[in-house]
Amino acid sequence: MGYLTLSKISKQFADAVVVQDFNLSIEKGEFVSFLGPSGCGKTTTLRMVAGFEVPTSGQIILDGADITDKAPNQRNVGMIFQAYALFPNMTVVQNIGFGLRIRKEPEPAIKERVAEMLSLTHLEKHADKYPYQLSGGQQQRVALARALANHPQVLLLDEPLSALDAKIRVSLRSEIRMIQKKLGITAIFVTHDQEEALSISDRIVVMNEGREEQVGTPFEIYNFPKTAFVANFVGTLNTAEAEMVDPVKGIVKMDGVQFESANQVEGQKRGDRVSIAIRPERFSFASEQKKANVVDCKIENITFLGSVVRIQITIGRTKFNMDTFNNPFLELPKIGAVTQVTCSREAVLILDRQ
Amino acid sequence: MNLLSWLRKVPLWSGFWYTLGVLYFILPLYATLDFSLRIQRDVISLLAYQNAFADPGFLKTFVYSNILAVITILFSLLLIVPTSYWIRLRLPEARRIVEYVTTLAIVIPAIVMGFGLISVYGAPIKIPFTSIQLTDSLLNSPVGTNFIVIMGYTVLALPLMYRSVDTGMRTIDVRVLTEAAQSLGANWFTIIVRVILPNLRASILSGALLTFAIVVGEVTISSILNVPAFSPYLWLMGQHKAYEPAALSFASFLMIWASMGVIQIVTGGRAQASVAH
Repeated sequence: MGYLTLSKISKQFADAVVVQDFNLSIEKGEFVSFLGPSGCGKTTTLRMVAGFEVPTSGQIILDGADITDKAPNQRNVGMIFQAYALFPNMTVVQNIGFGLRIRKEPEPAIKERVAEMLSLTHLEKHADKYPYQLSGGQQQRVALARALANHPQVLLLDEPLSALDAKIRVSLRSEIRMIQKKLGITAIFVTHDQEEALSISDRIVVMNEGREEQVGTPFEIYNFPKTAFVANFVGTLNTAEAEMVDPVKGIVKMDGVQFESANQVEGQKRGDRVSIAIRPERFSFASEQKKANVVDCKIENITFLGSVVRIQITIGRTKFNMDTFNNPFLELPKIGAVTQVTCSREAVLILDRQ
Repeated sequence: MNLLSWLRKVPLWSGFWYTLGVLYFILPLYATLDFSLRIQRDVISLLAYQNAFADPGFLKTFVYSNILAVITILFSLLLIVPTSYWIRLRLPEARRIVEYVTTLAIVIPAIVMGFGLISVYGAPIKIPFTSIQLTDSLLNSPVGTNFIVIMGYTVLALPLMYRSVDTGMRTIDVRVLTEAAQSLGANWFTIIVRVILPNLRASILSGALLTFAIVVGEVTISSILNVPAFSPYLWLMGQHKAYEPAALSFASFLMIWASMGVIQIVTGGRAQASVAH
């Protein structure tokens, strides 16, 4: 049993089921992300942990206590919003001290804690400013300090970086992760941005239509997606329809081209229709020696993306993307050229066709 | 180049409209001031002001209307702030209905409301469908009458007060602020008093000022219910005297400017700041 346990949580609004039979157990000090497209129920699940929504059924246990029906102000949970939600009539110091004042902590203790939070989030210089005098990134750091000042049992972050510009987003992301590790606080982070989820989390819960599709470390989620949805949602992916040729050896045929896969799927028979998936970065141009999965292809298009070059190729009748690192001294094939590419057996995933 | 865009480029032209606008407001005011100073033939004097302020009826009605205005403001705030807050937070679908109800005060003439109040509250109040009498007619006692008048004023002030407060609620994100405060442990009372109200200061003040102006300037209900209010007094004096009403009109203009100035000073920086935010 984890520190925070959600068991069989469901939430229904009018006639729409938003979250269905959601189960998750989070360890103390763990950083878990809910990742999914909008409307997948990730924010609703987070809001149920915060107490802003009450589950239609199911139970939420935090540190051994059932908090399912507790009012939000009776839970010790810190919340960070996309819109910062700072109190405009209060300075940074007053914002951070708000929760402590509500709890009627002695004034010197409040002062000390606020100073501690200011230095943790590097906001000392802005202590007496009002929210409107701060940039978005600074405001979100104030919100972080304010949420942490109360020593919450869980920190909940609802798309906290979505309103910020790209550079700040990346730097604040690592700052949040650093602070979370330093304080050893349990955190749930809601995002629709897969890169964000992959870079910040201990574990990711990929959600779709109110259910968890897959729970795992970023490494597992990216490299070994269990369902077609996860594979498509996380990272870019080439998928194609194929036919099972040999379920034991993992040989499939796509447009008459044979692929070998290390990925075993139970219950498949010869002649079954299957989906195969290959990440663009797993392709490389075939060198002389004979390997598994050396296939003929035609170069369709080449897009320069900075550190990566994306090449569109056709194998059989199906278009694939292939990524290679940019190297100014390496010559790329010409558009229209016919050449050979290869990928390892491990790179070819056979997905559940759900 | 067409004529219109050419005209727009001429600073003189905008200056012309600006001057015209200013004159439109200043000229009547200037005429009133000028007239109020000429109670004595060929002499400019403040005699009309002295006469007006010396009249015992002036102070009595003026103080009365001010007290009623303050009570009306407090009462309508008590009614509107929680209503508007709850609509923003939990009942957005009720907003149209409430907006419609608040505009009734504009649609229904004050004279209809005045007579309506008399016909309902002129009789003893009974529990509906029984003959059990709760109280004598409210209009038989001064306290009861004042109460009815304040209720009437509150209805008149509803459209302006509701819109001021609701606009203020819209500029802050009521729901997110409430949730943030809740997650920090605040209860409803704390949220309204320490988070919502302080951020509505500018819009509450503007609503209060408008309510004040309505109450002090209100003639119909005050006359029908026969309370010693300022505007009926001003009207009555206008029937008998020439210069004193002009003097009082000008003086009340000055008072309103002064109170607007005070509001500017009190809210100035903050109101601007919250808009910029």
